[in-house]
Amino acid sequence: MKILTTVKKVVDVELTMRVEDGAIVEDGMQYVINAWDESAVEASVQLKENNGAETTLVSVGGGDNTDMIRRCYAMGIENGIHIEDPALDKADSSIYARVLQMVYEKGDYDLVITGKQAQDTDSGQTGIILAEYLGLPCVSNVVAIEVLDGQHIKVSRSGDAGTEIVEMELPALITVDVSINEPRLPQMRGIMMAKKKKIEVMDLAALGVSADDISAAAPRSEIVEYMASKTRKGGQKFEGEPADITAQVVDLLANEAKVL
Amino acid sequence: MNPFFMSLLLIVGLAIFGRTMVHKIRLLMALGPANRANHIKARLKNLVVLAMGQKRLVGRKKEWASGLMHALIFWGFCVLLIRSLTLYGEGFVQGFQLPFLGDRYILGYLYIAIKDIMEGIVLLMVVYAFIRRMILKPARLHNTWEAYFVLGMIGVLMISDLLYDGARYYLIMHHNNPAHLHFFNNPQYGSEFLWTPVSVGAGVFLAGLSADVIGYVMICMFWLHIITQLTFLNFLPLGKHFHVITALPNVYLKKLGYPHQKTKLLDLENEVAWEDESLGINHIHQLTWKQGLDLYTCTECGRCKEVCPTYITDKPLNLHDFNDKLKLELLDNADNIIKRAKLSATIKQDDAADQTDKIKTEMVELNSKKELIGDVIAQDTLWACTTCRACEEVCPVTIEHVPRIMAMRQGQTLMAEAYPKELNPSLKGLERNGNPWGIGYDKRADWAEGLDVKLMADDADVDYLLWVGCAGSFDDRSKKVSTSLVKILQKAHIDFAILGVEEKCTGDFARRVGNEMLYQMMAQENIETLNNYGVKKIITACPHCLNTLKHEYPQMGGNYQVMHHAEFIDQLVKEGKITLRKSLEDTLTYHDPCYLGRYNSIYDQPRSILNSISQDGLKELDRHGRESFCCGAGGGRMWMEETIGKRINLERAEEIVAKKATRVAVGCPFCLTMIEDGMKELDKEEEIKTRDIAELVAESLA
Ligand code: SF4
Ligand code: SF4
Repeated sequence: MKILTTVKKVVDVELTMRVEDGAIVEDGMQYVINAWDESAVEASVQLKENNGAETTLVSVGGGDNTDMIRRCYAMGIENGIHIEDPALDKADSSIYARVLQMVYEKGDYDLVITGKQAQDTDSGQTGIILAEYLGLPCVSNVVAIEVLDGQHIKVSRSGDAGTEIVEMELPALITVDVSINEPRLPQMRGIMMAKKKKIEVMDLAALGVSADDISAAAPRSEIVEYMASKTRKGGQKFEGEPADITAQVVDLLANEAKVL
Repeated sequence: MNPFFMSLLLIVGLAIFGRTMVHKIRLLMALGPANRANHIKARLKNLVVLAMGQKRLVGRKKEWASGLMHALIFWGFCVLLIRSLTLYGEGFVQGFQLPFLGDRYILGYLYIAIKDIMEGIVLLMVVYAFIRRMILKPARLHNTWEAYFVLGMIGVLMISDLLYDGARYYLIMHHNNPAHLHFFNNPQYGSEFLWTPVSVGAGVFLAGLSADVIGYVMICMFWLHIITQLTFLNFLPLGKHFHVITALPNVYLKKLGYPHQKTKLLDLENEVAWEDESLGINHIHQLTWKQGLDLYTCTECGRCKEVCPTYITDKPLNLHDFNDKLKLELLDNADNIIKRAKLSATIKQDDAADQTDKIKTEMVELNSKKELIGDVIAQDTLWACTTCRACEEVCPVTIEHVPRIMAMRQGQTLMAEAYPKELNPSLKGLERNGNPWGIGYDKRADWAEGLDVKLMADDADVDYLLWVGCAGSFDDRSKKVSTSLVKILQKAHIDFAILGVEEKCTGDFARRVGNEMLYQMMAQENIETLNNYGVKKIITACPHCLNTLKHEYPQMGGNYQVMHHAEFIDQLVKEGKITLRKSLEDTLTYHDPCYLGRYNSIYDQPRSILNSISQDGLKELDRHGRESFCCGAGGGRMWMEETIGKRINLERAEEIVAKKATRVAVGCPFCLTMIEDGMKELDKEEEIKTRDIAELVAESLA
């Protein structure tokens, strides 16, 4: 089985994002692998270890992704492709999906695993659009994968009404939820080996797409503005006898919040 | 008596013993290196105090009776060693005397008197030991036939020698010495029998027998004594009583300075080490010779397990069992280990690669067939340890458990990648944001907002760096400790700053779970930051940070003078920079954090501070000071679930409740969390408040 896994580099959402002049302040910001994609990588590596598979990852845009890709190598991914092109600067899910389509068609993959969504945009589109472009059967929000034979897999999908179990014929595409696994932490041995591995970096031309094709497939969405989310003020804790507390709260509601 | 028989016995006895010992020593020599040859004076002092003085046996209040029993047997044996030489001589020459210990000297008389009394005492102690094992049965004792057998032999040694002298007494004094036996009879000091009441007393058993029979008894007792002694000597190396021979060298070779062998700084870039699986301990042959000697020396006394927080709370870690299993594995593989070491010595620098590979393949074939972790020591056992060092502190023969456990964890994490996966989120937090909670590193100094605390980035020309640590920066409860400490420092007009977002976890937790890579990453970045600012003096409220900054960073080029806040506050009080009010009315007790007490010997300063704020003075817990009981969070356990047995923090909280304390002081953010959680679980958090020393001091500032 050949597996293609897509990964995206996103801002570390643990950090507080600041916006100045309509742009995210880069100073002090750090970028990490999207958590859902990290689960996709772990899922691929587990399939490789348990069922035998060849694993390839692809990342599109985002500048220098070397560290992220090496980290995935250290987790056990075997091949890495990175597509970088100035024409991708304003890419949205549909454009990513187009580029990924090209990558898919150049290989001979049986299964595509993507993260269900990305921590930065949270739109959850790329995987399913890609399936549409490729005409592959797709199950989203997968929480378990079982290989039945060379041609079939069985996946569990966490749906609104409970868990759905779906048998799929390969080739197919699945998008996974973070709850599917606990991604491993790359260890020294893997990291040392990862250092020696090559990353295939390509621009759109090398992929056989012209920048025009991409701009022709104009993005379906556009980022208009960035705004920092409002930080919630910490609550206030009252201590003492219940009667005192009640008096204090009433006082604050009346005089400070002016709601009474 | 009979030079021929004596020679025969000695040759056979010593030859077998020599052979056994040579094998044991060769095995040790085939193990890994450890440098324990330096500082002879300090080592001799340990030998005198710990080994000869039996400090950890007689010095523990809880166990003084059995401790004294052991010490008396030991001292008795020391005295009797000289006697044995005389007896061997007697086998060749009638009336043999050692220089200066013969009948011409008062020393000789004194010696026989002491020997006589000691034999009586040892015999009494043997009786007590039998009673203890058979009737009193203390829980820690592991009753084996070996123990009874050895006690029996000691008893026979004493009785035979006493009866031998008793028989001599009867023959000489009551039967006119028919065989012209030699005895001490210096006109100045009198007959030897005036000096040996116990032997004379033993002679009473022979009263009424004829001279001939007594003569036979004397001869039989003599040879019985000699034969038992040689049998005893040969029996020792076969089991736990090997400690009779190895305890003295083991104590002499004990780690000096830091309480145990520091965790080895591994060269992670060394590819050969990866190939040879020699990072950490992965195979039995990777123990150091000192660790091998530790295994020979374990007496199976069980003192370690009796104080071990994991054993007490029903976890699978039972240290003497741990030692026993390792020892068996070591002995089972002895021949292969020796062969392996020989092969390894044949690899030369200039050997051709294929030659080296060939030898290495042969070496791998000699590896034990058992997985060290998995087959010999169970995973759960290895990961249960909190690295609290309670075991090491009580072990009478100074066995070092923690370094072994740490090295095995390194092996598990680095080579086998078989560490508890539940650690991943915390380790990843460390990797990304420099703290095990994984909270954004940019929020590290948020706690200090509005407190008017300087950042090193703004002013590095300060007297002290306040190292806040991850808990003090991110954990809501511990942030209050940081705030209190700031209040104290400001009150004392101390010129200090923090690193703010530039500070990262010291890496202590990563190191304790064997993740040397992450530890080195953290340490390297921190040391770079600290050295860039030219930091010299550090104050910290976290004993784990203290320990790592002070004792582990020097391995990587970070040398600072580091103080725990308790030390620093105590100093401030003594220098009059702050004044404390004796305002605390509660019944106050104190929980010693392991990394403050046992690792850094800071016991007095916290107590002195607490005594100066508490009206009634400090009430000690039963387990305190050197034998304080761990909160359960050390050794990376803070970041693992505790699913087996009782929770360690609960055990400690119950102890505090039982003491009827209404306040418990701590000096470590992890202890604070664990004990407070324990109190919550017992529904006592309102009645018994858990507070850091800094919080109590800040409340009592005059
Ligand atoms: S390790 Fe030390 S304390 Fe534990 S059983 Fe052995 S000798 Fe006793
Ligand atoms: S260090 Fe503490 S937890 Fe570990 S074995 Fe020793 S006493 Fe038990």
